Amino acid sequence: MSTSRDDFGIVIRSALLQRGAKQKFSLFVLILLSLFIFVLDNSNLKPIKILRSLINDGIYRISAVSSSPIKFSGASKDFFVKHIFTYQENERLRKELEDLKSKDFQSSFLEAENNKLQDVLELEKKSPYYVVNAKVILDKNSPYLNSVIINKGSNSGIKLGMPVLNEGYLAGRIVEVNFMSSRILLLNDLNSRIPVTVSPSGTQAILSGIGKREPNLEYLPDNFILDDKENVVFTSGKDGVLFPGIAVGKIVLEDNKKLVKLFADPDQINFVSVALDQQEDSGAR
Amino acid sequence: MALVLSKFKDSLFRLGPLILLIYICISEFHTQFYYWAIFSFNLQFIVIYYWILRDPDILGYGFVFICGFINDVVLSLPLGTSALSYLFVSLVAAYVRNATVRTSLFTDWFTFVIAVFIGNFIYFFLMNRFADAGIEYTTLFYNSLFTFILYPLFWSIFEAYKKITFARRND
Repeated sequence: MSTSRDDFGIVIRSALLQRGAKQKFSLFVLILLSLFIFVLDNSNLKPIKILRSLINDGIYRISAVSSSPIKFSGASKDFFVKHIFTYQENERLRKELEDLKSKDFQSSFLEAENNKLQDVLELEKKSPYYVVNAKVILDKNSPYLNSVIINKGSNSGIKLGMPVLNEGYLAGRIVEVNFMSSRILLLNDLNSRIPVTVSPSGTQAILSGIGKREPNLEYLPDNFILDDKENVVFTSGKDGVLFPGIAVGKIVLEDNKKLVKLFADPDQINFVSVALDQQEDSGAR
Repeated sequence: MALVLSKFKDSLFRLGPLILLIYICISEFHTQFYYWAIFSFNLQFIVIYYWILRDPDILGYGFVFICGFINDVVLSLPLGTSALSYLFVSLVAAYVRNATVRTSLFTDWFTFVIAVFIGNFIYFFLMNRFADAGIEYTTLFYNSLFTFILYPLFWSIFEAYKKITFARRND
């Protein structure tokens, strides 16, 4: 028994300390070095943060360049798939156009009515935000994080927590800012929690990422019933960080769970706008 | 000139696993998929375990450490997390290499379970204790399971690759 324990000790010591002909470091030294780096990174010291920010910027750039073959192959596949399904797409669009034409009259009427009511109530018209447009340079998923990297950072005025829009819809928020790059935590990430309002009922809820494509609506009141019309989810701005009224998605029922089909598809985000602030002169709602 | 070119090709072949490891760490190479949500695997573990076990001169510990470091930056994990995890996978591989005389696919495969378990445990422990990040346990479980299941496939590919490289060297 003691012999086998001795053998184990010898083998593990050998594995830890032995260096091959071409090895410059033993495993033991590198494990200690990793631990040291880990402790330093968790220490939240300012010089370390600056150093990490510089390292992030450098590696993200290299990463973006090295990912270009993958992006090219993805784009080529999409191109061919789009061409194959052009006919079906055309038919679908034709039907959609007919539907939209029939709705056009109704929506024009509603728009006029809405403008009139806003004038009467002296409500300020919805204004766009001061935004910084950015390109997604890296999109890599892991079991731990659904996030993307963009090519703008603190040099463009981006700060932690700022909302990120994709084609006008909420895509996520900024969770890491470097000098020339930033990381966006997508809405479907496990760590994402956003306070939202369900329209038209005005019910408050929390949109929680569950690591899948559609995030979940939590903390809805017990008596909450889905409206017959489309139930659209907007940011409520209750956290004081995100601006209220940004469209997020539409509620879909799946196994009695209220999931939200995001308007900004997390898999199709190539360009984004980071909302720096609301424009005051035109008046934010 | 032909000799220089041949030597260059040989060294490129020998660097193949290292290039692959660096590439999957630094690029957008996806091993996590949405269209089949449960399917994800850790290709880094497979590459590291196989090459440290079979030919440690091809994949040095220093490179494993650097790849872990890069992976942490790309995935926004606390620096050192992946490096520690990869180094412990290397430790299991080095242990198996020192403790066994003759290895086969089955011995490799079953000892790989221990490597995956330890590697993911290190990840899980550091993330849970220090990173304040939510972890989906089922995702982690499926990731480990598929990493284990896919090992023989990559084992065969790497064996074939090794034979080609060895044949080139002996030509």
